Amino acid sequence: MTAVAISGSSLTTSLLRYGRSRALWLMLLVAPLGARYMLPFEDGGGIKIAVGNALPLMTSPFLGVSLGIIVSTLVMPIAWLYLRSNTTRRQPWQVEEVTAGSRVAIALGRFVADALVLLGVLAALNLAGIYLATFMLEGDALNIAELSFAMWVVAGPAMIGIAALRILFDARPLLRSGFGDFGYFCVWMGSITAPIVTDSAEHPSLASNMWDFAGFVTPLKFGAPPGTDSFSIGGGFLATGTIDLDVMAGLMSPGYLESRLAWVGVAVALVVIAGLIYAPHKAKKKAVLAGRLGALLNSGPPPRVVANAPAAKRAMADALGLVWSEFRLIGSGRVFLLLAAGVAVLAAFADFRHVASPAALLLMLFALSAHAGRSEARGLVALTKVAPFAPIARRVAFVIAGALWTTLLALPGAPPAAALGVLPLAAASGAVAATVAIVLSTLTGSSFAARLVLLVLWYGYTAM
Amino acid sequence: MTSLELKGVGKAYGRKRVLHDISLTFEPGLTLLAGPSGAGKSTLLRLIATAERPNKGSIVWNGRGGRGALRQTLGYAPQAVDLPEDLTAREFAMHIAALKGLNLGQADKQFGAITDAIGLHADINNRVASFSGGMRRRLVFAQALLGEPQVLALDEPTAELDGETARKLSALIVERAQAGAIVVMTTHLADELAPHARAVLRVEGGAVAASRAAESVA
Repeated sequence: MTAVAISGSSLTTSLLRYGRSRALWLMLLVAPLGARYMLPFEDGGGIKIAVGNALPLMTSPFLGVSLGIIVSTLVMPIAWLYLRSNTTRRQPWQVEEVTAGSRVAIALGRFVADALVLLGVLAALNLAGIYLATFMLEGDALNIAELSFAMWVVAGPAMIGIAALRILFDARPLLRSGFGDFGYFCVWMGSITAPIVTDSAEHPSLASNMWDFAGFVTPLKFGAPPGTDSFSIGGGFLATGTIDLDVMAGLMSPGYLESRLAWVGVAVALVVIAGLIYAPHKAKKKAVLAGRLGALLNSGPPPRVVANAPAAKRAMADALGLVWSEFRLIGSGRVFLLLAAGVAVLAAFADFRHVASPAALLLMLFALSAHAGRSEARGLVALTKVAPFAPIARRVAFVIAGALWTTLLALPGAPPAAALGVLPLAAASGAVAATVAIVLSTLTGSSFAARLVLLVLWYGYTAM
Repeated sequence: MTSLELKGVGKAYGRKRVLHDISLTFEPGLTLLAGPSGAGKSTLLRLIATAERPNKGSIVWNGRGGRGALRQTLGYAPQAVDLPEDLTAREFAMHIAALKGLNLGQADKQFGAITDAIGLHADINNRVASFSGGMRRRLVFAQALLGEPQVLALDEPTAELDGETARKLSALIVERAQAGAIVVMTTHLADELAPHARAVLRVEGGAVAASRAAESVA
C-alpha cells in the first residue's frame, strides 16, 4: 500500500468516525455560543479588549480579531479536550503497530482529519460572527470579507497547530499520559503569554511574529496610533474612551501573514516528526525499583492467606466505609503519599493561600481526576452500578473524600488561631475540585477533561 | 426458599428484539445458559444482574420487585470490564467491597482466600496493568464472590483460562451453588459443569428452551 493510500485511508476512517460523533455537534456549537457571550457588545457584556486603555471602535476586521481571541482563550483548550477525549481517542494500535504502513502517512491522514474538524468549528464561528456583526456594526461598517479574513488569518493556523500537537502528543508514551495534558496546558499558556512578554509589535518582522502562535497581538498593536502600544484583554479593567484601530494594517504588516503561513508549515513538520519519532504502545508494567527507594515505593508482598476465611459481612457503617475507600483510592500509591507529606510540611511553613494551598490543589487535581476517571470508565460503571450503593452515592463519597484530603493537607498550616480561616478554604477548594472532577469524568468516561479543566481553574486560583 | 423470577421479560435495542417474553424461575443451585453466539445469553444475564432494565415484564426477587433488594445480595462478573489499570488487584477488590457495603477488613481476608483458591494470590498487590487476560478474568470472578451473594450472575467466567485454572473456578462455583446460592452462568464448559447443574437452559433466537430440569421452566 502506498503512503498516499495509507494517508487517504487514515483520513477517511477518521472523518467517518467524526461523522458519527454526537459530541461533534456540541463542539460546533461551542464557538458560536462563546462568540455570543464573549464578544464585546456595547451593553458592556463579553470580554473587553482595550488598546492604550481605550476601547477600539468596532469594525469588521476588529470583530474578526475578537473572534480570533475567543479561539485562543476558549476554543483552544476545548478543542484539545475534544480531540484527546472523544471519538478518535481509541485507535486500534495493537493491530496497527504491527503493520508495515508508514507512521508518517498514518499521522498525516489523521492530522488532516483533525484539522478539518477544527476548521469546521472555525466556519461555524465565522457564520456566527457575521450574524452577530449585523447587530454590532452599523450601516456600511459590515464587511464580511474583512471580518472573515481577519478571523481566519488569526485563528486558522492556531487551530491547525492544535491538530498537529494532538498527533505529536499521541506519538510518545509519556505524552499520551496525563503528563502530555499538563504539557499542553503549559504550551497553551505559553502561546498566550509569549507574544506579550517578547513585545516587539512596533517593528514587526517574521521573527517577532513567530512568537505569536495565537496571532492576535500584532493586529491589535500595529494599527494603533503612536504611543498606544499597551493592550488588555479581560472583563475587570476600566477603559476610558475609544480608539480608532487600523486592524487591517496590522494584518498586512511586515512578516505577519508570512508568520501565519509559517505556523501552518511548522504544524505539518510537527506531524512528520510525530510519525518519525512514533513509539509503540506498551503494556504497562509495574515499575520495580531496587534498594531502599524501591522498598519505599513498591507495594509489598501479598498478605498471608487466611484459609477458609469467612465471607465478609455487611459493615456497621457502610457509608463511612465507602468514604474511606474513596479516600484511600484518591491517595493510592506511595508516590502520592510522599508528595502529600511534602505538601503538608510546606503548609506548616509557607503562606497558605498563595503557596501551600496551590501546591496542595496541584497535587490533588491529578489524584482526583485520576480516581474519578478510573471509577467512571464506562466499562467499569457497567459493573459497579449493580452494587447496593448507587453510583450517585459513590460520587458524593468521592467529593467528601476530596474535601477531607485537602483539609488534611492544610492541617499543619492551621494553628488554632488561624484554623477558622484556613480549614474552610481548604475543605471548600477540595470539594469544588472533586465535584468538577467527578462531574466531568461522569460525562466523558475518562480523567482527561477533568484534568485539563482543573488545571485551568488551578491557574486562575493561583493568579487571584 | 429463595427464588428469582422472570415474568414475561422482553428486551429490545431499538427495533431489534433480543429477548422475547421469557418467564423463568431460578432456585438455589447452578443454572447454565447455553446456546449459539448472539442468541441473547449475555443479555439475559445482564437483566438478571440488574445491569439493564427489561423493556417489558419484571424481575422478582423473593417475591419483591425492584432492583434494590436484589442488589443487596448480588455478585456479577460480566464478560468485559474496564478494570482500573493503575490500581492493584487488592485495591480494586476493596473498592468493590466498599460499594457492596461490606466490612473491609473481612472482605480483605475473604479476597485473599478466594484468590488463593484460583491461583491469583501472589499477584494481588500488583497493578492490574501488568495482568494477563486470564488474570483479569479471575479478578473479575473473585470480586463477584465477595460477601456472600445469594445470586451470582457469571458471564463466561472460565473463558481465556487454562484447563486447570478453569477447573478451580468451576469448583468454587459449584461450591457456592451447593451452599444455596442461585448461580446463573454462561460457559463454554457446559458439558463439564452440566452434571452439577440443576438446569441447563438453551437460549436460541431470544427465547429459552429447557434441555434439562424442564420442570423449572415456566
